[in-house]
Amino acid sequence: MKYLTTSSLRLILYLILIAPFLLFVAYAFSTRWFFPHPFPIEWTVFTFQRVLDDTRTISSMAQGLWIALLVSVLSLILGFPAARVLGLRRFRGRHLVWMLFFLPTIIPPLAIGMGLNILFLQIGLAGTIPGVVLAHIIPTLPYTIFTLSSAFARFDENYEFQALALGASPIQTFFKVTLRLMAPSLVVAILFAFLISWSQYLLTLLIGGGQIITLPILLFSAASGGNPSTIATLSLLFIAPPVLVIVATARSLNRHGNEIREQY
Amino acid sequence: MTAVNILSLHKTYPNQSAPVLTDFSLSINNGEMIALLGPSRSGKSTLLKLITGIERPDSGDIQFDGSSILNIDPNKRGAVLMFQKSYLFPFLNVAENISFGLKVQGVSSETIGAEVKRMLDLIGLPGIEKRKPGQLSGGEGQRVALARALVTNPKLLLLDEPLSSLDTSVRMNLQEAIRDIQRELGVTTMFVTHDLGEAMAMSYRMALLLNGEIVALDRPENLFHHPRSLAAAKFMGVSTFLNGNQVWGPKEAEVESYKKLYAIRPEHILVQKEASENSVEGVVSDCIFRGEYVEYQVAVDGTTVRAQMPMPATMFPHGERVYVNFPRQYLFEVSHR
Repeated sequence: MKYLTTSSLRLILYLILIAPFLLFVAYAFSTRWFFPHPFPIEWTVFTFQRVLDDTRTISSMAQGLWIALLVSVLSLILGFPAARVLGLRRFRGRHLVWMLFFLPTIIPPLAIGMGLNILFLQIGLAGTIPGVVLAHIIPTLPYTIFTLSSAFARFDENYEFQALALGASPIQTFFKVTLRLMAPSLVVAILFAFLISWSQYLLTLLIGGGQIITLPILLFSAASGGNPSTIATLSLLFIAPPVLVIVATARSLNRHGNEIREQY
Repeated sequence: MTAVNILSLHKTYPNQSAPVLTDFSLSINNGEMIALLGPSRSGKSTLLKLITGIERPDSGDIQFDGSSILNIDPNKRGAVLMFQKSYLFPFLNVAENISFGLKVQGVSSETIGAEVKRMLDLIGLPGIEKRKPGQLSGGEGQRVALARALVTNPKLLLLDEPLSSLDTSVRMNLQEAIRDIQRELGVTTMFVTHDLGEAMAMSYRMALLLNGEIVALDRPENLFHHPRSLAAAKFMGVSTFLNGNQVWGPKEAEVESYKKLYAIRPEHILVQKEASENSVEGVVSDCIFRGEYVEYQVAVDGTTVRAQMPMPATMFPHGERVYVNFPRQYLFEVSHR
């Protein structure tokens, strides 16, 4: 009985998660779908082909991927030291620093974007990939820092002392011990930054100024165009990379998580 | 193999007013196992951090074979720590954990293989190379941690309460194993603990650390039977102290002896029904059967005297009037501090 309840609950949850996805698929691959029919009358790959043949689609995806990758790696490099200190040390003003790092998530992105736009125009970063990457780091960095600092709060420096005493240099210790122990959290932090950057619309639009076209920008303009098939197709392309990344990391995340749990 | 000289270390942490170590000096002979005994917060961990190079002393020096190591990086000092927890790297298996220290030094893989095998034989766990740390028991984990430390051929092995989290039987086994291995390899070792019994079992000499200072250093049996100061005596389990006039009585009073403080171990105090020379009357407040001995708590003049008598001994009921006898030959003098 208990098994039946949990499995039916699970089924419902899955349905809720998958239903919009199915709707996208139905819209993207159909031509004629009228009111009383529960399913489309005719199926086609024409819309999909048309969207893929459009050079803007592929280039916007490539650009978005490239930006998201740069953003996640840079957030990681910038956030790591801050997260380590916040997680491991107790010092005066710690909460203030914490709040300062958190501020970008509270302030409306429009305010940040408008201000940055003027600055970036002056120094020639507006409309460039470096400019957009820098702008994206503003919302991603807090998440990177919070993910990593909570991991560092559980981190035991004695592992590093142990490695040092056994003869490993500080650099060897960092790569062979610290990074390995932090690996699951690093994956989560990268994932957060990647997803935030990948789905960023407003900052890309403001800083990119029409020069930098990522998939969300295309999607928004298509959405105002009103062709449901195109919107659905672009939406499918939009959710594909995140889903792939999550599926790819889920297994290793689980395994690392178990290893770390055993140790604590 | 190394002779270690620790000279007059001082350490105060920046955000604290009280010093952690004050004028700490200690010499460890080549190949010796010395126990450092102290309660928590006595400065033990700080000392280990100074020796391994995680912290720097404010003043003083640490020398290995006569030359200072203070300016040598932590990873080149050859002082290896083993903690209460094994700290085996969870992402490496047993063999990879043991060979960690060799690998980072660029030792060839054939040598590593042979060394891992030799170490696993030494700790009495052959054939567990492929196991992960999570699959080891507490005792096995500590054995592997010991192997990982010893494989680097350390100049000084520092054991920081390595057995405190283990069950008694596992603990006894490992005490024996560590003693055997230390004797076989002749590695200079410092065994840090808060447990008196363990310190005595694990050392040629034992140093008592109280408030950042060594208050006593001697062979365990000497320190146990004749601690020289009040503080040391208390840590050695002595709870009965007598002033000179209580010992000598008014008639034999000499001015000098009057000022002195005397101590007696609980197992030398006799609790009897009859009065005898040098005894006082008291009331039994508790009488506990401990197996090998009986522990008495007797109220005498508002203080409690604790005594232990080996079996067979009389069990006195609560409230019984008895005489507590302090045999003169077991009284020893201690300094007031």
